[in-house]
Amino acid sequence: MMIPFLIAVGVMCAITSLLAVIMVIADATIGNYGDVTITINGEKSVTVEGGHPLLSTLKEEEIFIPSACGGRGSCGLCKLKVLEGAGEPLPTEMPWLDPDEVASHVRLSCQVKVKNDIRIEVPEELFSVKQFETEVKAIRDLTHDIKEVRLKLIEPEGIEFTAGQFVHFEVPVYALTDEPVYRAYSLSSGPTEHGEIELEIRYVANGICTTYVHQHLEVGQNITINGPYGDFYLRDTDSDIIFIAGGSGMAPIKSILHEMARTGSQRKARYFFGARSVRDLFLLDDMKALEEQLPDFRFIPALSDPDPEDHWEDETGLITQVVGRHVEDASQMEAYLCGSPLMIDACIAVLREKGMPEEKVYFDKFS
Amino acid sequence: MAQSPYLSRVQSEMRPGVITQDGFLGNDHRELQEILIEDDATVKRLNTTHAAIAARMHELMEAGAEGLGLPIDVPPHFEIQVDSVRGKLPCPFMGGTIVQKLNTTVFNTRLGREITYTDLNIHMIEEHGFYEGRGSLFRMPPEELAEILEMDLREPPPEDEEGATPRLCVRKDDHDF
Repeated sequence: MMIPFLIAVGVMCAITSLLAVIMVIADATIGNYGDVTITINGEKSVTVEGGHPLLSTLKEEEIFIPSACGGRGSCGLCKLKVLEGAGEPLPTEMPWLDPDEVASHVRLSCQVKVKNDIRIEVPEELFSVKQFETEVKAIRDLTHDIKEVRLKLIEPEGIEFTAGQFVHFEVPVYALTDEPVYRAYSLSSGPTEHGEIELEIRYVANGICTTYVHQHLEVGQNITINGPYGDFYLRDTDSDIIFIAGGSGMAPIKSILHEMARTGSQRKARYFFGARSVRDLFLLDDMKALEEQLPDFRFIPALSDPDPEDHWEDETGLITQVVGRHVEDASQMEAYLCGSPLMIDACIAVLREKGMPEEKVYFDKFS
Repeated sequence: MAQSPYLSRVQSEMRPGVITQDGFLGNDHRELQEILIEDDATVKRLNTTHAAIAARMHELMEAGAEGLGLPIDVPPHFEIQVDSVRGKLPCPFMGGTIVQKLNTTVFNTRLGREITYTDLNIHMIEEHGFYEGRGSLFRMPPEELAEILEMDLREPPPEDEEGATPRLCVRKDDHDF
């Protein structure tokens, strides 16, 4: 009775041990893809260790692809053309790809694992994206929930960007994250301040990066960023301009306005800025100075719900209502919008009603 | 009753780092099935349904969205801010649902209490009766939701209406968990 039982236990142990050995061997061989070659734009080839996501593999090669979610496939920003060697799109990619993109081999680079030689296309402008080591030079409260962070560039010492673009800010490991994560923030400083940059970061409850910046970041600390990214910039035309922003959407507009002042722009511009009450307004002195520097610029703050003690006598109401009151005919204008997607969608509808062609509305949604 | 393979797969999707940095289960080490059953019982005890709770969350989200990203007062005594965060999130229940990362913060000025929920919370409550695990960043205890959102719990739940009865899992191929 006992002997068959012991034999059965022994056989089970032997089978289990054999399976464990097979798994270890498989992990070391099947899972080891060795060196693979990535051919970029048909011109350049890099040899990399296989088995890792394309996004992080390219980052190791100092090719930075925009991504706001740290490679989890939840932002849809890291699209690239993978012409060969990556198989079919994964189910995790499909929500982000339209049929035309699938047909032209667009993939989410964070979801593509580099297992064999592949051919990819990287937009030329991304080759100018660099990683920068910086030091926090100053942190300033702009409002109760927005901080201005000034970073001194250490290596490289300067950055070339177009006013309106954004960078990725690396949040180091801390209580809310067990690995570094990146978040995108628009540059609020002007592009001629090569050695330093400024960001405006609004606190979002439970946000990994905003919590870090608002509760942990200190002057003197080293921070890694990469950039610049984005196609939100002032188009070179003579059209009158409507700027619309709310909250930290101020950042890229401020950068654009300073660049207009520096270059002596003569364009007519109106800047509608939405806030709830006076305590949510900021950089009013800066906007006043820009009104004096630019020949035909007006800053129009609008409060949706001013406190009685604000004694506010200027524009009130939702930003859409204020824009609607001020703009008669937008058919010959162009607009630059930055802020909450809800605000942007509502403003686009108003601008269309006022005759603005869709292709003349440029926006940077926080989404 | 043993948890079904489907719910086990869903539970593994809910781990930290798979869909979101912190996952959906917090420090709750129970099986997903147990979490669903307990919250379902709470909802029944409250004399309401998952659909009714989700409908109230949706109603207040829509009212708050009128503020275009800014906080606004909503009668009788709510202050609501609806704001977007960059990106979208897939539902961990693997039905192919993807939602915008839209945060709704409801401050009940009468109670002095606040709750923040996402569009994914609304979807998971409505479709899956899931309120996240204990200790999760976006855990929504049903009784707390009902209280802060001031749901009318006097009326009996509309059990006869299609889709309005409490459900633990809407996967048609996997009701047996």
